[in-house]
Amino acid sequence: MSAPGRRRAGLVARNVGVPILSLVLVLVLWQLIVVGFHVASYVAPRPREAILSVTQNWSLLWPLVLGTIRETVYGFVVGAALGFFLGVIMAKVPFLQGLVYPVLVLSQAIPIIALAAPLVLILGFSTAPKIVIVAWIVFFPVTVNVIDGLSHVDRDLLNLAKVYGASRWRTFWQIEIPATSTPLFSGLKIGATYAVTGAIIGELAASDGSSLALYQEHANSNLNTAAVYGTTMVMTAIGISWFLLVVGVEVFATPWRRRTVARRWPWRRDRDDVAQ
Amino acid sequence: MTEPLLSLREVAKTFGETVALAPTTLTIDEGSFVAIVGPSGCGKSTLFNVIAGLLTPDGGDVLLRDRPVTGSTGHVGYMLQKDLLVPWRTVEDNITMAKRLTGRVTAEDRAEARRMARAYGLGEFLRHYPSALSGGMRQRVAFMRTLMTHQSLLLLDEPFGALDAQTRLEMQQWLLQVWRDAQRTVLFITHDVDESIFLADRVVVMSPRPGRVVADFTSPLARPRTLDMLTEGHFIELKGRVMHLLHGGAT
Repeated sequence: MSAPGRRRAGLVARNVGVPILSLVLVLVLWQLIVVGFHVASYVAPRPREAILSVTQNWSLLWPLVLGTIRETVYGFVVGAALGFFLGVIMAKVPFLQGLVYPVLVLSQAIPIIALAAPLVLILGFSTAPKIVIVAWIVFFPVTVNVIDGLSHVDRDLLNLAKVYGASRWRTFWQIEIPATSTPLFSGLKIGATYAVTGAIIGELAASDGSSLALYQEHANSNLNTAAVYGTTMVMTAIGISWFLLVVGVEVFATPWRRRTVARRWPWRRDRDDVAQ
Repeated sequence: MTEPLLSLREVAKTFGETVALAPTTLTIDEGSFVAIVGPSGCGKSTLFNVIAGLLTPDGGDVLLRDRPVTGSTGHVGYMLQKDLLVPWRTVEDNITMAKRLTGRVTAEDRAEARRMARAYGLGEFLRHYPSALSGGMRQRVAFMRTLMTHQSLLLLDEPFGALDAQTRLEMQQWLLQVWRDAQRTVLFITHDVDESIFLADRVVVMSPRPGRVVADFTSPLARPRTLDMLTEGHFIELKGRVMHLLHGGAT
């Protein structure tokens, strides 16, 4: 293997292998505790039982999982877009920042669960209140990070663009937004981790029919502990997958952070050749 | 080569109580290389920012080819000690940055950027991100970006100030070579007296409190400049006079 090939293999081992190992460790620890302390199966199942409760009921669970994913994704997209927009507006208009910031902080001080009841009154038992709850949680870290990022763009760089005669619009898209990518993605990643929690809270408080959260409640009232744990694992898996997807987008969108040479795109190579 | 490209007429700037720049009149000929030396606080950077249009002077006019450009931007190339390369663009895309900010980067622009990078020793790094480059290489890219503004007047504010002595000497020679090829007018701020005499046709000396021009020397050195000129009698003599102005009787 070549030196960069080896380095790449090392990176993959560290970025994929180690997290998988830690996941396995959690399962092993779980098994050891349940067996070692003779925990009754109605208090805590063994990992195998929890996993089986999911796989054996998959056809029943899958539509519910899809519902939760939908709420998470829609809510995240709405929240991220709103958060970005608010962040930009507030960073650009100091007066608005002073006016709106306290309201935003206030919005986050409201216990989410207390928000659900009025939302159901307004929006009914549809997907809408869940999307609103997820967006409510997601927008805040995005807004805070975008404001922070935009207000810390190098003044000299902005002056350079000005000396060149760049318009504010160009400067914004070509300088300020890329310069804000690190805090922006930090906000998105924080939002991504909480998004599923928001969706589940929404399902608990604002579901009339079937949902993953109600499925778990149902299992709980039937003393089906394995299914309770199994459902929790599924919810966690949705959360982790969504977080990893956002991380994936970040890695793809910010190649300069880990590469020394730019990627070659097939459709750009043509242009390069023509230009020579 | 004797047409005035830039004229400053009684340009002055005050910040609060501090007179950053006393009324200053200065003419820069087309195609010349003029260095401005002075200690910090002598108004060099204020002068630059007024010429670039980042600051509006309290009084006076900035004329570029007899056209008033006081307080407006978009008429000079500008480079600082900080290279200000954007980390998210490749070397090639950093070189074409000015066009990206003001118009459209055409295939010709890209070809020109590549040609320049190849001619001046960065051909192998076109697709690299700036983080992969050394300080000297980054300043070369920054200078090429400045050239690609296609402005006649280039303002360079201590561009090599952060480099080590060896790299700085290499960069000075490199700059002279590129300047000769590119046929631009350069206004170069430095606090390094050797650098100012070695590079420039004219050495303008400024002094603080209030910031003002106190002397304007013509460099006695012929072109092309070579390193052994740094120890020539003419060079040492002018250096002595400039040093005397900068440090008063202390030297």
